[in-house]
Amino acid sequence: MLNTLAPGFSRAAIEELSRYKGEPEWMLQLRLHAWETYESTPAPVGRRGDLGTFKTLAGFNYAQLVPFTATSGEDSLPPVIQQSLQQSLVNERSGLIVQLNSTVVHTELRDELKQQGVILTDLDTAVREHPDLVREYFMTKSVPVDASKYTALHAAFWSGGFFLYIPQGVEIVEPILAQVWVDSPLSAVFSHSLVIAGEQGSVRFVEEYNSLFEGDAPSLLSDVVEIFAKREAVVEFSSLQDLGQNVWNITNKNAVHENDASVTYVMADLGAKVNLETIGAGIHGNGGAAELVGVFFTDHDQRYAIHTLSDHVGLSTNAETLVKGVLTDRSRVEFDGMIRIRPKAQQTNSFLSAHGLMLSKQARGEFIPGLEIGANDVSASHGATSGQIDADQLFYLMVRGISRPEAERIIVQGFFEPVLQRIPVENLRTRLRRSIISRMSGVSESEADTWVDAQERWEIEGVDEGAISLDGNPNDDDIQLSEY
Amino acid sequence: MASELVIKNLHANIEGKPILRGVNLTIRQGEIHALMGPNGSGKSTLSNVIMGNPQYEVTDGEIWFKGENILEYSPDRRARMRLFLAFQYPMSIPGVSVANFLRRSLEAVREGNKPYEEGENPTGKMQKRKTIPPGEFRKLLQAKMKLLKVDNSFINRSINDGFSGGEKKRAEILQMALLEPEIALMDETDSGLDIDALRIVSESVNALTGPNLGVLLITHYQRMLNYIKPDFVHVMFNGRIIKSGGRELALELEEKGYEWLRPADSENEVTADA
Repeated sequence: MLNTLAPGFSRAAIEELSRYKGEPEWMLQLRLHAWETYESTPAPVGRRGDLGTFKTLAGFNYAQLVPFTATSGEDSLPPVIQQSLQQSLVNERSGLIVQLNSTVVHTELRDELKQQGVILTDLDTAVREHPDLVREYFMTKSVPVDASKYTALHAAFWSGGFFLYIPQGVEIVEPILAQVWVDSPLSAVFSHSLVIAGEQGSVRFVEEYNSLFEGDAPSLLSDVVEIFAKREAVVEFSSLQDLGQNVWNITNKNAVHENDASVTYVMADLGAKVNLETIGAGIHGNGGAAELVGVFFTDHDQRYAIHTLSDHVGLSTNAETLVKGVLTDRSRVEFDGMIRIRPKAQQTNSFLSAHGLMLSKQARGEFIPGLEIGANDVSASHGATSGQIDADQLFYLMVRGISRPEAERIIVQGFFEPVLQRIPVENLRTRLRRSIISRMSGVSESEADTWVDAQERWEIEGVDEGAISLDGNPNDDDIQLSEY
Repeated sequence: MASELVIKNLHANIEGKPILRGVNLTIRQGEIHALMGPNGSGKSTLSNVIMGNPQYEVTDGEIWFKGENILEYSPDRRARMRLFLAFQYPMSIPGVSVANFLRRSLEAVREGNKPYEEGENPTGKMQKRKTIPPGEFRKLLQAKMKLLKVDNSFINRSINDGFSGGEKKRAEILQMALLEPEIALMDETDSGLDIDALRIVSESVNALTGPNLGVLLITHYQRMLNYIKPDFVHVMFNGRIIKSGGRELALELEEKGYEWLRPADSENEVTADA
């Protein structure tokens, strides 16, 4: 039995992997075709004068990586994962699926959803049991094999992976939680999420990426998310990337909208050494809506390149992209946000805003918005800025007795708050606040907790009092508190 | 003993340009001083330098507060000694609610005169923070808001974000009420206010004055002094206080303007415009 492959990517390794999985011929051929694409496609090196993230990725030593690391013992999750589930992003969940290295080790789904025809399974099982669906949707229309050199590598070597199918009209209320764990150095882990939401179906999918190893030896996480939202389907996809800073991460997420479908992405990126992220909304149907809310925090030598695309194809579609990030130490972030309005996409409304706040002089951020408009009856706007903390704001807070490091933290919190408020998963908001504050200078972990708790306690109490109205109310001496 | 703010021969530059050229002034708890003078005479600079704004460089002189030379202290430490500045142009800080900010500010000020900043504290460790329970804070804030007749909706909004000119000034006074400073510098608190707002803000200040509060009221015009009665009036010109007197001096200025006070040597000096 195969446990691991030898380091390095090759045609022979693909054949061995596919044989081990007992895959049908068509999947083997898909992999081999993808391998040819990978071999014949040059690595993207970015633009002249950019911050060099693509070049860094192109220069990465892929040959040192083991392309497949099996995990045995499907019934018992490692303690660290069990613990994470107790404080997870999702308290009440409809389903759970966990990938450890190259293998899905745990899957659960509520019985009533199974009875309604919902399918949640690892992708290998889906290849066996639902080949028609996988053949139609796997790396064909949403994130095609040849989208880039890295997607081709992904298609050639994918393993693990999640498959979620929601039949027409089924609404999944509580979120489904997916976790991907990388626990060993010098491995390449491929995770794939294929989400198909049938007509008028709805789902909230929360995916979390973590790693569990120390040291300088790197690993690679190659991740693809493909979302298909059929007519009037509603999909909310939230992801938290909190990998160690020894993991290189390449992720492509894309959604294909049919008529009146709505897809919301929440992107929260904290970890990884290098993070190349492409997020797209392909709004093909008429009347579709796409939303992307993104938050990131980088420190040390982290390098991010984030590309977003709102691709308006159908009539009368809406998209909003809102990304905010803080950069400190020597980290670098390149953000490229594109709004593309195709010639027949009349009555499009599209909005993009991206803002970076730099806390150190060595941090570098480039935020570039792009607009391609092929139709004439549209409304589109974009804005992107990056800058340092405002000295006058800092002085203002300090004159109120607040020390400089805390004043900086307050300004950062204020910077993020409008975006955090847009994140529908409460535990994700909490986790982000804690994580961001604890990574800022001059604060210990416990102080970060106090700070965040105070904020939450205030907000929680605020919600209680929100019912009191102001005008002419006998209670109007009470101070009203609510979330802003 | 009443706290004293003593400014001795203070000189300060901004971007190499001298603005303050030897200011001497003493303010005690319980006293109300009005500082008047034409635009660009250095009034706002003085309040910024007293609070330690890093944009200004102090080139000579001393600032003593409660018997300590505070020139090397960070702005937050000066605030924790209960010095207060009501800003001429309060900064807006989107995303930070007034309630959370005020609570943190009050907690910090109550910790008192302890060094905080890196380097000031030899251990480099942060002291364990004493927090104020939300219920207690709310009661306190409620009382102050009632005193100043401030609308409750203030509290949920982001700091000064989208506030009108009058609202910003009232928010500053609310902060002053809450933080209970011993000496408050009020930088053109009357500017940009219509006559009703001016009356409301002035009444608020009057509600706070008493034996525990010393005030330096910086203003262009005499009109605020119709509501707030100063014990002393000082006139600043070209970075120096050139005349001091009682309340009658303000009325004289109102009548005659500032030109008659222009010092003989000022012709040869560079006019400061900050």
